[in-house]
Amino acid sequence: MVGSSRALSGVRVLEMTVAVAGPVACHVLGDMGAEVIKVEEPNSRLHTPRPLPPPRPGAKDHPFNRVPNWIELNRSKRHLALNVASPEGRDIFLKVAAISDVVVENFSPRVMGNLGIDYEDLKKVNPSIIMVSMPAFGKTGPYKSRSSYGPGIDAMSGISHLTGYPDRGPGKPANFFCDQNAGLHAAFCTMAALRHRRRTGEGQYIELSMLEGEVQFAAPAIMEAMISGVDGMRIGNRHQFYAPHGVYPCRGEDQWIAIAVTSDEAWKSLCRVMERPDLADDPRFAERSRRYENQDLADEAITAWACQHDPLDAQEVLQDAGIAAASALRVNELFADPQVTHRGSFSWVDHPELGPFPHTRTAWRSFQGNNGVGGPAPLFGDGDDYVLRDLLGMRLEDVERLTQAGIVSRAPIGWEPEKAD
Amino acid sequence: MGVCAVHGAALDGLKVLELTSGTFDYTGKLLAGFGADVVKIEPPGGDPIRYQGPFVGGEEDQELSGRHLHMNTGKRSIVLDMDDAGDRQHLIRLLDDFDIIVESFPPNYLPERGLGYQELSRHRPDIIYASISYFGQDGPYADFAGSEIVAEALSGYLRLTGDPDREPVKSYDNLVEQQAALQTAVAIMAAATYRDATGEGDYLDVAVFEASMFLLGGPAQSYATAGIVAKRNGTRLLGTLPELFYPSCIRPCKDGYVHVHTNTRHPDMMGVLMDVPELNDPEVLATPMGHADLIDELMDRWLSQHDKFGVVRQAQDMRLPFTEVLTPLELTKDRHLEERGFFQDVEHPRAGVIRQPGAPGTLTATPWVTRRAPLLGEHQEDVLGSALDQRTSESQ
Repeated sequence: MVGSSRALSGVRVLEMTVAVAGPVACHVLGDMGAEVIKVEEPNSRLHTPRPLPPPRPGAKDHPFNRVPNWIELNRSKRHLALNVASPEGRDIFLKVAAISDVVVENFSPRVMGNLGIDYEDLKKVNPSIIMVSMPAFGKTGPYKSRSSYGPGIDAMSGISHLTGYPDRGPGKPANFFCDQNAGLHAAFCTMAALRHRRRTGEGQYIELSMLEGEVQFAAPAIMEAMISGVDGMRIGNRHQFYAPHGVYPCRGEDQWIAIAVTSDEAWKSLCRVMERPDLADDPRFAERSRRYENQDLADEAITAWACQHDPLDAQEVLQDAGIAAASALRVNELFADPQVTHRGSFSWVDHPELGPFPHTRTAWRSFQGNNGVGGPAPLFGDGDDYVLRDLLGMRLEDVERLTQAGIVSRAPIGWEPEKAD
Repeated sequence: MGVCAVHGAALDGLKVLELTSGTFDYTGKLLAGFGADVVKIEPPGGDPIRYQGPFVGGEEDQELSGRHLHMNTGKRSIVLDMDDAGDRQHLIRLLDDFDIIVESFPPNYLPERGLGYQELSRHRPDIIYASISYFGQDGPYADFAGSEIVAEALSGYLRLTGDPDREPVKSYDNLVEQQAALQTAVAIMAAATYRDATGEGDYLDVAVFEASMFLLGGPAQSYATAGIVAKRNGTRLLGTLPELFYPSCIRPCKDGYVHVHTNTRHPDMMGVLMDVPELNDPEVLATPMGHADLIDELMDRWLSQHDKFGVVRQAQDMRLPFTEVLTPLELTKDRHLEERGFFQDVEHPRAGVIRQPGAPGTLTATPWVTRRAPLLGEHQEDVLGSALDQRTSESQ
């Protein structure tokens, strides 16, 4: 499934995570060549969000295998649908943990203990195991038992308070921020721990509080609060130091261009592009501090110019003049973007039941090909043969018996084809 | 401050030359926190981050920028001028000891000065060399003028942030630049792992706009496979189909804001918490996103009578995943972070003792250590001493 010469070739990761942050951590490790075995409850994913993409011609109609978000977050993995709450299921989990390098989980703090697969249990079967827990707020402290998802952690981290319009309430960065952030920090910490183990033989327990990973990104405002007692506030599209700086309406409905003027020279260039020599010579805009004071006026002039132009045309003429500017692209426009195409920012991988699928690659290209996408997202439970027979040496009839007993499964338990719509 | 690497640290023995500036300094901060020896090579006058406030004491001072004190913890500092031939030779000599470089100059800046990957890998074939740029080292946009807001725009992230009736709005500060720095730290660890196994180095071409794309987490894929074009939706989750999940959003309460979130297994708990039976109307429960405005109105009545800490306490007691929207000042006094010892008192010869954020993650066997940021050029002799000696002996 993955190439033999990638960075994490030979590393086996046992994943027991849900939602977004845990899956991201493990697909990043998988993208770099680790073998990731994702374990999920057989009764999960019974209900799938709509609308779903259609199956590829000739493929089986398994809606639970066609959720785009799930596929994106679970590429480069194998999948085992395993009832870990059953004694036999727990036994299988521990047997796989015994031959794995890393176990990753992101449940609320008591879950792994209740299942009897906490760090102490794993260490008994694999003394050098690295276990990564990704609780929302950590495993200690007054909020350890709170439950939360990404946007709720954005709220506590200061990022919600600091993102958005100054004249409206707190905002939210796009769809997600916290989860990908925690996933990447977890991948980083895991590789640091793997390095320590290569050198000393010692495994360890990693606790990654999603909140503490995100607070790193509110640090400028936190440092200000610590230093001067001043509470930071939303400044919308303006910049703390530079002006003008904003998102301006272009010709057409809901079309926008982002412009950042970061030098006197860039301001003069902008005035030339806008054919406003009067502004280039206007002392109110002559230097950064004056532009900062008069940015309302500058914004008016830029808006008057921008709304006569298509955003991509405006981007071209502004960039030609050396001004930091870009069209605010819609997600569909990414697929036609020449830089995205040039860099291969999407890795197209064939999904067995859906067809070609564009995965967003991690943000770097490696000369050695150390990252990419290791393979399509797995189908529900289709790693059972590999895990149970190839890795654990079970016989076919054992696997059939476990399937009969609902301990492993290739479809969500309770799902029936004729009821699917 | 201990100059040597922390003994027994996870990244003990990793030797990094850092040629980044501003928010991109986060890569080196992460590596240094877990024990790598990170030497920050600053231009004469210092990393521009030293001139970005807030400043301890209020006045601009290259040693007292809060951003610098946070972003450059655990590093050593030397000053080298990349436009000076002698200084460039110092950098090349340092490759005898240092085998990782991370830089964030515009593409071609270092190659034009004989310090690109092609040139440096001749001196040190197993070097790991990471370049961070807004759009990547080559391609049609490689020479674009970049910035945080421009990278957010071209990634699709900007368009999805903000209210439907307003312009798209940028995320706080340099959120995606810092994501690129985090991705760079991941990339460097991967390359270091590969080098341990094969002896081979690597060149890593990191793009800020791709770090921003990575945060999208699904909308591009939903478009490509199901034709759905996501639109910004305030603090609600993306998607407008009536049966979608709601509420997950931020609403005002008596003394601030809270993030409200229903419990998918027990959606009726919202109505119970707020004692508003209309929230449990079967039609509302069946098509919550279709009734989002009504749900907001019903919730606001109750929320406006309760303070944010009280709302969250009551909700969490019923397993509803609510949280407070905290301000930066509130965070610095947060009892949870306090009890966990997240904030650390760091002593600095000029700034005094400053409390600042600690580790982004806890490696129990090899913990993070927060050591203060360096003074500009503080370690010139420590680091270049041997190189300087060598240069002197060669010229004799």
